[in-house]
Amino acid sequence: MSATSWAWLVLLFPLLGSITIALGFRRTSWRFAGIVGTGAIALAFVCGIAALITLLGESPDARHHTSALWEYASVASLQIKLGIYVDPLSVFMILVVSGVSTLIHLYSFGYMQSDEGYHRFFSYLNFFVFSMLLLVLAGNFVLLIVGWAFVGFASYALISFWYRRTTATRAGIKAFVINVVGDIGLVLAAFLIFQQLGTFEYTEVFAKAPQVFHTNEWTVTAICLLLLVGAFAKSAQLPLHTWLPDAMEGPTPVSSLIHAATMVTAGVYLIARTHVLFVLAPTAADIAAFGGLATLLVAATIALVMTDLKRAIAYSTMSQIGYMIVGVSIGAYSAGLFHLMTHAFFKALLFMAAGSIIAAMANEQNIDKMSGFGKAMRFTSVTMLCGGLALAAFPFTAGFFSKDEILAYASARGGMYLIFTILGYFGALLTAIYTFRLIFRVLGGKPCAEAQELIDTGHGAHAEAPFNPATGETEDTDIGFPGAVHHFAEGSPPMKVAMGILAFLALFAGFIQVPGVDETITHFLDPVFADSPLAAIHPTTSASWFGLLIGGLISVAGVGIAYLLYVARPDTPRRLQERFAAVHTFLYNKWYFDEAIDILVVRPALAVGRFADNVFERIVIDGAITGGTEETVGRAGVIVRTFQNGIVRTYGLFLVFGAVGLALYFLIQQS
Amino acid sequence: MNIDWYIVLSALLFTIGAIGILVRRSPMVILLCLELMLNAGNLALVAFSREVGNGQGQVFALVVMVIAACEVVVGLGLIVAIFRRRLPLDVDDLRELRG
Amino acid sequence: MINALLWVPLAFGVVGLFLPRRAVGWWATAGAAVTLAIGVIMAFGFENGAAGLQDTVDTTWISGLGVNYSLGIDGLNLFLVLLTAVLWTGGIAFAAFRERDRPRLFFFLMLAAETGTLGSFLSQDLLLFVLFFDLMLVPFYFLFGAWGIDRTAEGGPTAARATLKMMIYTLIGSLLMLVGAIATAIVSAHGGHLTFSIEAIQHQGVPVGSQRWIFWFFAAAFLVKMPAFLVHGWMPDTYRAAPLSTLVVFSGVLAKVGAYGFLRIVLPLFPQATTQFQTVILLLALGSILYGSVMAFTQTNLRLIAGYSSVAQLGFITIGIFALRADGSDGAVLQMVNHGLVVAAIFIIIGILVERSGTEDLRSMGGMAMRAPVFAALFLIVALATLAMPGSANFVGEFYILNGLFESKIVFAFIAISAVAMSAYYALRLYIGTMHNRRPDGILSREIGLRDGIVLAPLVLCILGLALYPQLILHRADPSVQQSVSAATGSEGGTVVTTEGKAPELQVIR
Repeated sequence: MSATSWAWLVLLFPLLGSITIALGFRRTSWRFAGIVGTGAIALAFVCGIAALITLLGESPDARHHTSALWEYASVASLQIKLGIYVDPLSVFMILVVSGVSTLIHLYSFGYMQSDEGYHRFFSYLNFFVFSMLLLVLAGNFVLLIVGWAFVGFASYALISFWYRRTTATRAGIKAFVINVVGDIGLVLAAFLIFQQLGTFEYTEVFAKAPQVFHTNEWTVTAICLLLLVGAFAKSAQLPLHTWLPDAMEGPTPVSSLIHAATMVTAGVYLIARTHVLFVLAPTAADIAAFGGLATLLVAATIALVMTDLKRAIAYSTMSQIGYMIVGVSIGAYSAGLFHLMTHAFFKALLFMAAGSIIAAMANEQNIDKMSGFGKAMRFTSVTMLCGGLALAAFPFTAGFFSKDEILAYASARGGMYLIFTILGYFGALLTAIYTFRLIFRVLGGKPCAEAQELIDTGHGAHAEAPFNPATGETEDTDIGFPGAVHHFAEGSPPMKVAMGILAFLALFAGFIQVPGVDETITHFLDPVFADSPLAAIHPTTSASWFGLLIGGLISVAGVGIAYLLYVARPDTPRRLQERFAAVHTFLYNKWYFDEAIDILVVRPALAVGRFADNVFERIVIDGAITGGTEETVGRAGVIVRTFQNGIVRTYGLFLVFGAVGLALYFLIQQS
Repeated sequence: MNIDWYIVLSALLFTIGAIGILVRRSPMVILLCLELMLNAGNLALVAFSREVGNGQGQVFALVVMVIAACEVVVGLGLIVAIFRRRLPLDVDDLRELRG
Repeated sequence: MINALLWVPLAFGVVGLFLPRRAVGWWATAGAAVTLAIGVIMAFGFENGAAGLQDTVDTTWISGLGVNYSLGIDGLNLFLVLLTAVLWTGGIAFAAFRERDRPRLFFFLMLAAETGTLGSFLSQDLLLFVLFFDLMLVPFYFLFGAWGIDRTAEGGPTAARATLKMMIYTLIGSLLMLVGAIATAIVSAHGGHLTFSIEAIQHQGVPVGSQRWIFWFFAAAFLVKMPAFLVHGWMPDTYRAAPLSTLVVFSGVLAKVGAYGFLRIVLPLFPQATTQFQTVILLLALGSILYGSVMAFTQTNLRLIAGYSSVAQLGFITIGIFALRADGSDGAVLQMVNHGLVVAAIFIIIGILVERSGTEDLRSMGGMAMRAPVFAALFLIVALATLAMPGSANFVGEFYILNGLFESKIVFAFIAISAVAMSAYYALRLYIGTMHNRRPDGILSREIGLRDGIVLAPLVLCILGLALYPQLILHRADPSVQQSVSAATGSEGGTVVTTEGKAPELQVIR
């Protein structure tokens, strides 16, 4: 079978899984839904492997294929096919997405077990995977937009999965609307591409672009900037990032899958996919890189002070995606995508561990109330430590190799791009500190009440009444809320398996891309980026290892600082907080981005709406236009009405007068 | 034979009918006056028909008679219906359709 | 065949007047279904890729005035006819499941309205079109006035008064159109033989000077019907007064007659005026889009949210037509069908919601998804189609429309597309506000019944089917649309060369 056939199968299984689960929700057990859901994604992963093998069997230059099912929307002047594009980049993305998704499905199989909406959850989750795969496999910009919007919808649906929480529905609509803003950027980019090149197909666009556009021409820059709107909205980069922390309202596996491992990295994929255009528009590429850099730093500083466990990890995600965006924008394509992969492993793992702990805390997410889980939950804490080490880029973990490769490339490119290296390392320091702040505070210290209960009885704690962790208000226990029983890794083999595999990958996946040794990813992706002059820049092996050395030192230093602050002298953070109260408030309020958007966009829109409703509609439409018409007709009616007095004899008189008048008229005419 | 007198008679009858409709308030009388007007018309039609020499006018007169018969049926029916409901048999009081 | 399509609904309606009260609802549904079947058969017999009229009937009606009883089907109206048949079947079935007084008259009027609407889509004669255009309004006058809802308790008008407002409004528009139609025929005859045939008039041509004012006479009728921004004043009161089952067809189909009129009559007959006033109409349509969207997200009455969203959607359709490019108008035709399906489904859903909650106010609803997962799923699909989620046919429609506009008037496209974000907000707000969040007391969360299900599910299936294969409509509409649009722009083929950007070079690249 050809690579494209396998790719179609990759798409088919998750879609079938989603539909099967959705249609069978009344007749089938939760176990069925879980098995079908997980199985479908696993099959997709297997097909992805098959596609990979098929692709590897071909010569590197021939590793790109297109295939179309049918004409989707075509008329004489424009054609859109339902087609896919298979090349090393899309296969790489398929494998990362379906691989991580399989594990997260496995995890959810245990984690969501007692939730009433189990079928709905797995149906949405499968639909999400389908959409994500569609996004990476799409063969033209229209289908890309479709996949792009589908993942946005799946994200919305899963964020407001517990839909009776007002906080969750509000977070969902926020995520959706911001993502639609991104979609609009993509749609406009597609229009501009069509106007300039007359096609939406990837292959044709990328073939024609270098012939049609001059470097830095305004059109191609505009296309790239519009694409960036989409990429930044989806990947939660400044200033379109505010939805991501709120998205933590969703169940933890969702945060793990969508808001850490896969969907939010779509922006990275998009830039890598359209690198041909970005090469032609260096200005836009630099804007993207600086956007990524800003996000990287801002998010890291916020992660330092967040007290909500999941939100802290979410900010860390934003920060790490900032690295990837920097990577693919400055030309370190395979490094950025490699970081995408390792990040998927360790961040998914961190969320899983966080979910396990939150379950043990009976849904409490505030790290101020957590401590001592290192003793209470051995497995969870070990895996969390693995994930934390990888995130902090501790020497020889996965994150160590991937992050430093981006920074090494930046320094190899030199000039202005050294800024990225320097600030990137500063970001790495912050990363190590905030990661281990979480780990020390949650895992270390004296066990808190819930942890103690777990140690003593072996059962997780239960809140007296279920409550919303965001607001603290109690909830009724009907459908649409997390189930009464919470599942954490220690008691659930599927969760253990998923976390174990990811922990292994977080620690050791870096070894497939060691500078100067194997560089598997780079070799595999090379054919895709061969046309980019930037791909020719390559840090020397010694420079890479020097970078790794610095990165390792910084990481260790960060962990050390965290140890000093949170273990050795636990009262320092409080004193720092008091000393720099203004800074802390500023960071704690997330740089006031939400408030700024509220004042700049939401309130004006609502004000315009109210004005339209109360003033314009009343006075102009109802008063002047409608009222005027009605008034005129009404007045005329009053005049006519006086003749209609209901007395038949009056009518008769009019009739006679009329007849006489007519007769007279004709008589006068005659004479 | 001069047609003038027929026309004069027809006009006279028509005027009597019209005045009757305008001044009387009983629906019964109004109906009679209507008949009078129709027949005035018939007279004129037949007279003209004679004058011109073909039968068209007489055919018209026949049609008018049929219509008059229909009208009487409906009109009398209405009057009976009004009477049955014990409404006043006075056209000035029956002014439901006032605008 | 085409005669059967047109008159079957009315025939069923007349027979229904003599049937027992219980049976009449089903009889009417059967009538609508038969019409639908005829429509489907005709669609199967439709020759793809042909631009001209098919299945034509053309007999002299009033020879002295040159009025012909002339009907025909082409790519422009084929799917609108099908849409009409589908929505009437759905709307009548939805009504048949519910008790109401004077059912015989109700269903007779519904079916008469269907004949009127089909007539205006099918007629190829200007005067016949005007006649049907007015005729279809008459049944709705009685339907809204007699079975409507008085809003006096909320400080609104009575049903009769609201309906009167609508009548006055739309009649003024259509009277102007009547004048315009007669003027067109007289002016275009150039003193020769009078004809009202659209094709013949197009052939003869209308003098440019006359086009300018006749254009606005027609535009007035169509814009009011849609309704467009500034002349939508009748819409809020009427939508609140109308019974929901009639609103399904009223909002779903009648609004499209206006947009269809532009494509069928205005573009081919008044090409110079069209290009001259393109910007004005685009501005009005842009006003509709923005104003409708803004209003839709501030309203709290469910009907008005749907109503204003229709204003916005019709604005999109109008800009698609007045982009004066084949792809924009292709999108407009597709979007007419899409929007008809979606808004009909929305009104059926609103009907179900109102029955469960006893209120039409969004603020006092919520939490209904709890015991109604199937209903929630259907609603969600419809809501997503409403906001033109990529992957739905509505997206393809809007994509085509905006792409056309982007190529001809880029600034307008940028402004119009911002409404897409607003539509995401109001559609989700409608969904979340009713289905999600906490459930207030007194609101039932009950699964959709089988009876409503068999009305709603086929509509949702249509939406899904079109989402997978919008080509179904685009492919058939394209040749006719090209004919219409090229009549207005004076160029052959689909591409209109614009002065902006690099479009001229494009030809070379291709």
